[in-house]
Amino acid sequence: MTSFAAGGGSPVIAGSAEAVRTHKLYKRFGQQVAVAGVDLVVPRGSFAGLVGPNGAGKTTTLSMITGLLLPDAGSVEVNGVDVWRDPVAVKAHVGVLPEGLRLFERLSGRELLTYNGQLRGIPKDEVAQRAEELLKVMDLTGSADKLVVDYSTGMRKKIGLAAALLHNPEVLFLDEPFEGVDPISANTLVEVLQRYTSSGSTVVFSSHVMELVERLCDWVSVMNLGHIVAQGPLSEVRGDHTLNEALLDLVGARGNGEEGLSWLGSARA
Amino acid sequence: MAWLFVRLKLRLIAGNLRGDVMRQVGFVFTLIAAALAACGGFALMSLLRLAPPDVALDAGMVLFTLLTLIWVIGPLLVFGVDETLDPARLALFPLTARQMATGMFAASVTGPWPLASLLVLLGAVVGLSRSLTGVLVGLVAAVLQLAFCLVASRVVTTALSGVLRTRRGRDLLAVGVVFVILLTQVPNLLLNQGVGGDPRVFLSGLASIVRWGPPAMAAHAIADGALAGLAEIAVVGVVVLALGDVWIAVLRRAMVRADSSTQVGSVRRSRFDGLLPAGPLGAVVAKELKYVRREPRGRMGWMAAVGFAGILMFSLSGGPNGLEGAALAVAPACIGALMIGLQASNAFGIDGRALWMNAIVYSSQRDLRTDFAGRHLAVSLVAVPLLAVLSIAAALFAGYPPWVLPALLTSAGLLQIALGVGAVTSVVLPYTYPERINAFTSAAPGQGGVAFAGSFGAMLGTSLLAVPVVLPVFLGLTWVALLAVPYGLAVAFAGRRLAAMIGYARLPDLLTAVSRPS
Repeated sequence: MTSFAAGGGSPVIAGSAEAVRTHKLYKRFGQQVAVAGVDLVVPRGSFAGLVGPNGAGKTTTLSMITGLLLPDAGSVEVNGVDVWRDPVAVKAHVGVLPEGLRLFERLSGRELLTYNGQLRGIPKDEVAQRAEELLKVMDLTGSADKLVVDYSTGMRKKIGLAAALLHNPEVLFLDEPFEGVDPISANTLVEVLQRYTSSGSTVVFSSHVMELVERLCDWVSVMNLGHIVAQGPLSEVRGDHTLNEALLDLVGARGNGEEGLSWLGSARA
Repeated sequence: MAWLFVRLKLRLIAGNLRGDVMRQVGFVFTLIAAALAACGGFALMSLLRLAPPDVALDAGMVLFTLLTLIWVIGPLLVFGVDETLDPARLALFPLTARQMATGMFAASVTGPWPLASLLVLLGAVVGLSRSLTGVLVGLVAAVLQLAFCLVASRVVTTALSGVLRTRRGRDLLAVGVVFVILLTQVPNLLLNQGVGGDPRVFLSGLASIVRWGPPAMAAHAIADGALAGLAEIAVVGVVVLALGDVWIAVLRRAMVRADSSTQVGSVRRSRFDGLLPAGPLGAVVAKELKYVRREPRGRMGWMAAVGFAGILMFSLSGGPNGLEGAALAVAPACIGALMIGLQASNAFGIDGRALWMNAIVYSSQRDLRTDFAGRHLAVSLVAVPLLAVLSIAAALFAGYPPWVLPALLTSAGLLQIALGVGAVTSVVLPYTYPERINAFTSAAPGQGGVAFAGSFGAMLGTSLLAVPVVLPVFLGLTWVALLAVPYGLAVAFAGRRLAAMIGYARLPDLLTAVSRPS
């Protein structure tokens, strides 16, 4: 943990043109295969969306990429470095916001950021300054000294993102960053992320909200039942349709809303 | 309505057990415990028949009151409002408060414990009644007493349910649990010290205190069995109905009152953090010190350790089995050190689902070792002054102040040993603390075995490793205490090294083990 990206977004690890590349990633929980040989590719500097229905394996894939879950088979490279073989090089350069809002509940927002920064070996003054700026941008200055356990969902996502950005990572992984977030907070998150990618850093995030993915992303990977079913620039994946229609085509729409429920609604006579 | 709630409760019990072997085993144990309590209680209560009538009556009145107290306090200890009994879950249904109260009462009668209580109360009818009318009055009194227990218990949990749903309320209650548990030791201590003199006088004193409470009146009615008894059960019946009305009123309010959990204060910025070294070690120490203060589970553990050591100080000296010599001064601090140290036997449990924040940073065994060192340093910073106070108190109590030195050194060494062993159990047998604190289980569903093995292993390991330094001191070779601290530090160092080696290799497993849903 001696090196940390202190300055701008200059890539410390040179090499491949891809920020993320997985090879035949595989994970099984008991009888259920959660991820069945995923080859995820995300070009460097892109704002990438990972979409798919519930249970497609998005969270499991992201957990394995960020070193939080041991894959059963396959390999993961971030900026050309194998995550499971050389964790030092990778962990110093990625930021993560995992699913759920798992934070140190009994620290205040400011203390949480300080803890993260110091754990990564960033000097105290630098941490304090970055934390203050992040709190301000995230509109959390007023709640900075309240305990995280008392934060609302939106505030938790924002403080989580702030913690993930604190060490200026080159690649940022976000699992459902907009779930349960109010529109104002979502807007803040989007602004921060757009500023971050415009400097050449990479964001990979999973989401159910197709409109948002369509608005933000230039690269999309579609997952279903543990496989990547489509992957590429947004325009190629969606073609002439909206992304939502493209997704329904790819995944196979499960339309069974026509039969039954004839009693529902007030206009029926 | 009542029948519907009874079926709902039974369905919930069954659903809770489906497909989960650990819970099924747990439920079987509950059933066995309830059956034992029922039969044992019934037998003991009926044995009151053999006692002189006035002693039996006094005992009956005290026991009835005790049963009521258990019913009121017990559910608070498990923070237990199961689905049928939490009014918040029923608020959306078109039910009047009266219907809900009837239904919830029916639901609370359903279950092994109310049945066990009823059987115990029937035992009291056997033990206390002296005539046929006494039996008849007694049957009514027993049922009324059970109703009183249930309604009183419901009123308290419902009134507190608003508080129980907020974080602050639960935190406070968690600390209260320790008090209650320590309080249960007080009568024991008093009797041990010979306070109160003749137990029979003590009993009749207690009985006269509770005499006019509804439970004691129910007990008295059984023994009386005549007109006075009838009057008493009438009073108890009226009290139950009145309490029912209070309950309905509280219920009405609880359903619509705002959740107060959003009104929260800020914490002060710590000035102490500035004194800590920069970098990972300082970060971990700062975090751990805050957790000691803010996490109720931590506070519970610390208070229990100090309270227990204090009780031990008193009970060791009194009575025929009292310790003699240096051990009298050394033992309390050592017990305190052991109990504090054992809290570290599942170090990552307290981080729980937040552990990923460390896991995405740690990229070598050294990082994990630093983490452990930070945790140990934080615990020591708080524990050593506490142990010093305990040592001083115990030495003064033992009547020979110089014993404070061996007491402090031995206990500090023992603490380090416990921390070293705890580091290893933390990575070998990690488990999730349940989100809701309760006084009876400390692990998420299905991890009870791991939790037991972890704490038991830590206790056993610590005791074995502590024997070479602690035993000689206990036996009077007080100079050995000089070796305790260096020896303890060596064990702690070795423990951290071993734990980091094992733990780093299975960091993702650790993460899963402490992040189980609970």
